[in-house]
Amino acid sequence: MTAQVASAAGDNWRNLTPTEKDRVLENYQRWQRLPQQDKEHLREEWNRWQRLPKDERERIKQRYDQQQRRDRHRD
Amino acid sequence: MKNAMPLQSACKEFEEDLVLYYYGETSEDERRRIGRHLFGCLRCQGFLGDLQRLLPQMARTEELPQSFWDNYYRETVAKLAQQDERKHWWRSLIPQMKIWIVPAFGTVAMTVLVIGLLFGKGNLSSFTLRPAEKIPHEILADENQLQFFESMDLLESLSKLQSQDEQKPEAVNTQSSRMRFQSGTV
Repeated sequence: MTAQVASAAGDNWRNLTPTEKDRVLENYQRWQRLPQQDKEHLREEWNRWQRLPKDERERIKQRYDQQQRRDRHRD
Repeated sequence: MKNAMPLQSACKEFEEDLVLYYYGETSEDERRRIGRHLFGCLRCQGFLGDLQRLLPQMARTEELPQSFWDNYYRETVAKLAQQDERKHWWRSLIPQMKIWIVPAFGTVAMTVLVIGLLFGKGNLSSFTLRPAEKIPHEILADENQLQFFESMDLLESLSKLQSQDEQKPEAVNTQSSRMRFQSGTV
C-alpha cells in the first residue's frame, strides 16, 4: 500500500513541468505559513472553483494566464 | 706662474725625439744620438728641462686614500646587487607559481564555466533540485491537492477574476488553454 502511494506520488509529481513543480512547492510552503482563516477561505474558493461551469473556469483561467503574462512582461 | 711658462723651443728635428727620450721610449742608439746632441745644444737642454718640470705636473693625479677605494668597491657591489634584484624580482615567483598555478587556474575556469551555464541561460531553476520530500507524500499522491497548490495563486484572486469575467466576458479558446481543474475537493 505504501509503495503504491509512493509510486502514485512519484507519477503525479513527475508529470508536472519544472515551472509547475516550483509553483506547487512555493504555494505549499506559503500555505503552511497562512493563518487558519485564510486557509479556510482558500478551501472555500477551491470548492467554489470546482462547482463553476467548465466554460467559466476556462475563461477565468485564460484571463488569469493573460494577466500573469502581462505582469511578467512588465517586470 | 712658473707652471704657465711656455715650453722653450727645441731643434725641430729633435723635438719629438726629446719627448720620447724623456719617457725612455727610444732605442739605445737613439738615446746615445740624442744624448750627444743634448750635450752641445742649450735650446734642446732647455726644452728637456721644461719637459721634466711640466709633464709630471700634467700627469699628476690626485692621490686618494685607501678608504675611498674600499668604499667605492663596496658601493659599486651594492649598487650592482640592487640593480640585479630590481631587474629579476619577479623571476623568484615563477618556481612557486608553477606549483599552484595549474590547479588554481583549473578551479577558476570550472567555476566560471558552471556560473556561466547556470546564469548564462537564465534558467537557474532548471538546475536546482525541487525536492518532493519537502511536500508530504499524501499531497503529492493526490492529484486534486497538487492542482490546489498549483492554482493557489488563481484561487486567491478568484473573486476578482470572476467579477472581471462577468463585466467583460472574453472568447475562450479551449484548445490552447490547459485546464487542470476538473473535479475533487481539498
